[in-house]
Amino acid sequence: MSLKTNAAAPRASERESARRIYFTLAAIIGGVVSVYFVLVPVLKLNLAFHFYLMLWITMASAFNVASGFSGYMPFGYVAFYGVGAFTTAILVQKLHFPVLAALPFSGIAGVTLGLMFAPTLRLSGIYFAIVSLALAGICRLVITNLPEEVTGGSFGLHLGSRAEPVLSFYVMMCVMLLALGTILWLSRSRLGKALRAVRDDAEAADMMGVNVVRVRLYGWLIAAFFPALCGGVEAWYTNVVDTETAFNTLTTAKTVIYAVAGGLGTVTGPIVGAFTMVWLDELIWREFPRINMLILGIATVLLVLFLPRGLIGTLLRRRPQWRRYIP
Amino acid sequence: MESLVLNGLINGLIVGGVYALIGLSLTLLYGVLRIVNFAHGEFVIGGSFLAYVLFNSLGIPPLLALPVAAVSFFAAGWLAYYLLIPRLARSDDPEIMSFLMMYGMSIALAAVMLLMFEADSRSIDYAFKPISMKVGPIYVSTARIVAFGVTVVISAALAWFLYRTLPGKALRATIMNREAIQIVGVDVEKLSAFAFALATGIAGVTGVLIALVFPAFNAFSGAEYSIIGFIVVVLGGLGNPIGALIAGIIYGLAEQLATVFLPQALAQIVGFGILVGTILIRPTGILGWRAQR
Repeated sequence: MSLKTNAAAPRASERESARRIYFTLAAIIGGVVSVYFVLVPVLKLNLAFHFYLMLWITMASAFNVASGFSGYMPFGYVAFYGVGAFTTAILVQKLHFPVLAALPFSGIAGVTLGLMFAPTLRLSGIYFAIVSLALAGICRLVITNLPEEVTGGSFGLHLGSRAEPVLSFYVMMCVMLLALGTILWLSRSRLGKALRAVRDDAEAADMMGVNVVRVRLYGWLIAAFFPALCGGVEAWYTNVVDTETAFNTLTTAKTVIYAVAGGLGTVTGPIVGAFTMVWLDELIWREFPRINMLILGIATVLLVLFLPRGLIGTLLRRRPQWRRYIP
Repeated sequence: MESLVLNGLINGLIVGGVYALIGLSLTLLYGVLRIVNFAHGEFVIGGSFLAYVLFNSLGIPPLLALPVAAVSFFAAGWLAYYLLIPRLARSDDPEIMSFLMMYGMSIALAAVMLLMFEADSRSIDYAFKPISMKVGPIYVSTARIVAFGVTVVISAALAWFLYRTLPGKALRATIMNREAIQIVGVDVEKLSAFAFALATGIAGVTGVLIALVFPAFNAFSGAEYSIIGFIVVVLGGLGNPIGALIAGIIYGLAEQLATVFLPQALAQIVGFGILVGTILIRPTGILGWRAQR
């Protein structure tokens, strides 16, 4: 008996210290990131660059909930983003909502769309990916064909003189911190563990008493909520929404690539991935604007071939013992 | 109205033939290699641009561009296989990763075509004589009839190859059970390379046919054909060549008839609707057939 407690005690204290390191690291990373972004407008750094950096961090992190945590690859992820953008734009432009009151409705629209797509969750692998792609196509076509009074037709919707770059920047920051906080919580929570269990073996998880359908749905709705908010804030920031840009497949492509570049399934992965890739993208765009797309495509191919687990994923594979410290 | 429907049927058959070929090559790739080729549409449009370049700079008519496309795309596919696939196979989830890699490939290829040919729509200014033929009560352009003839010949040749020759049977056997075929002594590596090259070759040929059948194409058309390819493949059952041929025709007919009866915008949704409906209701495809894992 005493032997057992002796053996268990150091392990418990070890776990306690691992926990402490984990949360300290999370707090430090969170603190550094927030202070950095808070200072961007104050120090008059490049506002647009950092706005999109936060947007992509949020998108990639939320995508990670669907792919890394739940094992789905929604290749029509842009649907949530586009619907969110249009919700805010329509509410502000047609129903004269104040922007900040309209934004939550974007999130609600995203969750509603997520609920509508929920029946596809029983598909897996490539079937799910293809259906998701098709559903995004349907969303785009439906919104394109709504009456012009509602969606502004091919000219899109202009939000008029409501642009407030700095305020929308800080709102975007709040959305990003909310997303990161949610995912940090998720990765330690019962729900997050259940999600991972379902991803790895749904039948075994079911046997252990996990409500597979409900767990999948919760994960899916979290993943649907944030891109819709991103779409809404971006609509406010750029002041214009049209179907071509709101439902651009490239949005999905970038989200997926950034998330994979960092490593799916970790909290830090998509942050690191988005940081690296957005920065690289900016650099490439500045130096070679004409072959920007070409380089993005080639980078994706190389990434899949040589770093399929992403930066953080590869690091954790080399040093599995760090897994307990790195969020 | 009647002639409109007839028109829709005939054009549906012709367009469907092209879709069938796209679906056939895509389903071969998936069946043999478990690769979901998102860049397939770009391969196809690459064939269209090849025909465009051959005609505009060398004066080679599209029919003669067919063998050129077949050979050059076959060779390119062979090369691409050895560059990409063996490495890809080592990742944790090759199927999803292949989708992602081909996603990147499609972005890169579209960008290359955009750099070479700008964003304008292109078409081949080649006319057959006579320019159109009378089929029953309606006129169909000769180019479309010729394209349909080529489609039928190619499909027949492929069906014969897959069902009557030893390498073809080996390919189908690989689709059914990749492990077992190795026990019988088939070099799966070589066979896979061949399948990839064959699928790419068919894609190139289909591209030339698209230049004949459709009024125009541009650097961004690829994604559209990829999606159509997916719809056809899923409708026919993943990895089922005959299913893909039938599904291609069905999809072509549905699409053309939809444009007769429905407004333009809704007709586009029909395709996506077919895809989502099939997967949710009957994921094994119209023939109820699924490749074994």
